[in-house]
Amino acid sequence: MSDTQIHIIGAGLAGSEAAWQLAERGIRVLIHEMKPQKFSPAHKSADYAELVCSNSFRSDNHQNSAIGLLHQEMRLAGSLIMRCADAAKVPAGGALAVDRDEFARRVTEEIKAHPLIDSVCEEITALPDASFGEVIVATGPLTGEALAEDILKQISHQA
Amino acid sequence: MAERGSQTLLFGPMKPVGLTNPHTGKRAYAVVQLRQDNREDTLRNIVGFQTKLKHGEQKRIFRMIPGLENAEFARLGGIHKNTFIKSPLLLDRYLCLKDMPHIRFAGQISGCEGYIESAATGFLAGYFAACRILGKTPLIPPATTAFGAMLNHLIDDTNVEDFQPMNINFGLFPELEPEITANGKIRHIKGAERKEAYCRRALEDIIDWTEQL
Ligand SMILES: Cc1cc2nc3c(=O)[nH]c(=O)nc-3n(C[C@H](O)[C@H](O)[C@H](O)COP(=O)(O)OP(=O)(O)OC[C@H]3O[C@@H](n4cnc5c(N)ncnc54)[C@H](O)[C@@H]3O)c2cc1C
Ligand SMILES: Cc1cc2nc3c(=O)[nH]c(=O)nc-3n(C[C@H](O)[C@H](O)[C@H](O)COP(=O)(O)OP(=O)(O)OC[C@H]3O[C@@H](n4cnc5c(N)ncnc54)[C@H](O)[C@@H]3O)c2cc1C
Repeated sequence: MSDTQIHIIGAGLAGSEAAWQLAERGIRVLIHEMKPQKFSPAHKSADYAELVCSNSFRSDNHQNSAIGLLHQEMRLAGSLIMRCADAAKVPAGGALAVDRDEFARRVTEEIKAHPLIDSVCEEITALPDASFGEVIVATGPLTGEALAEDILKQISHQA
Repeated sequence: MAERGSQTLLFGPMKPVGLTNPHTGKRAYAVVQLRQDNREDTLRNIVGFQTKLKHGEQKRIFRMIPGLENAEFARLGGIHKNTFIKSPLLLDRYLCLKDMPHIRFAGQISGCEGYIESAATGFLAGYFAACRILGKTPLIPPATTAFGAMLNHLIDDTNVEDFQPMNINFGLFPELEPEITANGKIRHIKGAERKEAYCRRALEDIIDWTEQL
């Protein structure tokens, strides 16, 4: 897409929410996600916002828990991730737990259906230079090795 | 954890606190929590059992738990690496690299920890970027809110050397003001009341911010 206004690398929990917030503000987004062409050691599904371990978002109590409070603030701010989590909720006492496949499917469907979001399946192996314009790096704890090395190289003179 | 001692798990993920067997009225020695994992309730996950044991060993050992003799395992545990940058040194308050301001970071690579924490920093990065593209001044979430506390963890440069990814927690919030009681005494808020006071203050302060987004 030639009129892309921002590139997002990685469509996990962070990249998916970022893409949604941008698109809802009228901005054209291009997502670069390496799945399903390449998977990290923990990721298995082609969907965005995959939960790689527990299916719990921890306590949902916004009267006495910090994470429950963050849930509530995210709802008030219009978070896509929280809306899909609430919709895919399964019983878990005071915790917010979800059906992980349904959750990821909902996030993926909403993002793919948004008229201002496009996506390509590719692994990004270096930090894009300034000619790309705005970029959000949201590649997570298991960032592809090549990109991780390039980030380290580009920032190491400061660390 | 299990290596530390044969009783260690009893005080950790297998803690039997608050769970009395309704049939016998007795408290269990140890418990395993199986949490529902899908809508149909055909999958359950074992809470708190992340492990780096070999996959074959995981199956062998977990099948020793009474009731799980015939369990089928849909996914096994594994310990992962955790790539993150020294955000307080490298990022400005809008999560942009100070040296390459067209690049913004979000999610666990920026030094938060957890699913919703990652989504929340993604929210902030998306919102900040939208502001720059639209020529608006981004509003920083108040420090007293969970959004603000999470952001502060990533950009507070008083703590660059020890910087580690963190879940949201009340330690990241500014301290509560002590209360002045009716007879003019200073009263520090303690215990369970503290958590409630942090939450009340945050939910009051977040409204101003969300209404202007
Ligand atoms: C094994 C494991 C278990 C965990 N368990 C929990 C848990 O139980 N609870 C919890 O709250 N948190 C847990 N976490 C932390 C969890 O990863 C984060 O909370 C959350 O998923 C991070 O969100 P993110 O958006 O930053 O990254 P992710 O959700 O990992 O998303 C990153 C995305 O970027 C893509 N990507 C990576 N590199 C590239 C590249 N070079 N080019 C293109 N795309 C790329 C990936 O494919 C992925 O889709 C766990 C993490 C791991 C690895
Ligand atoms: C790599 C790069 C890409 C840019 N891309 C665009 C673009 O696509 N469209 C566009 O209109 N302008 C863009 N800009 C310009 C940018 O938004 C500012 O206008 C510019 O940096 C001038 O800042 P200043 O120091 O003069 O003013 P400042 O007062 O620092 O900022 C001007 C405005 O931008 C906001 N701002 C500054 N830094 C950030 C940030 N990191 N994140 C979000 N908001 C910020 C400020 O709050 C203010 O509203 C870009 C700048 C850079 C460096």
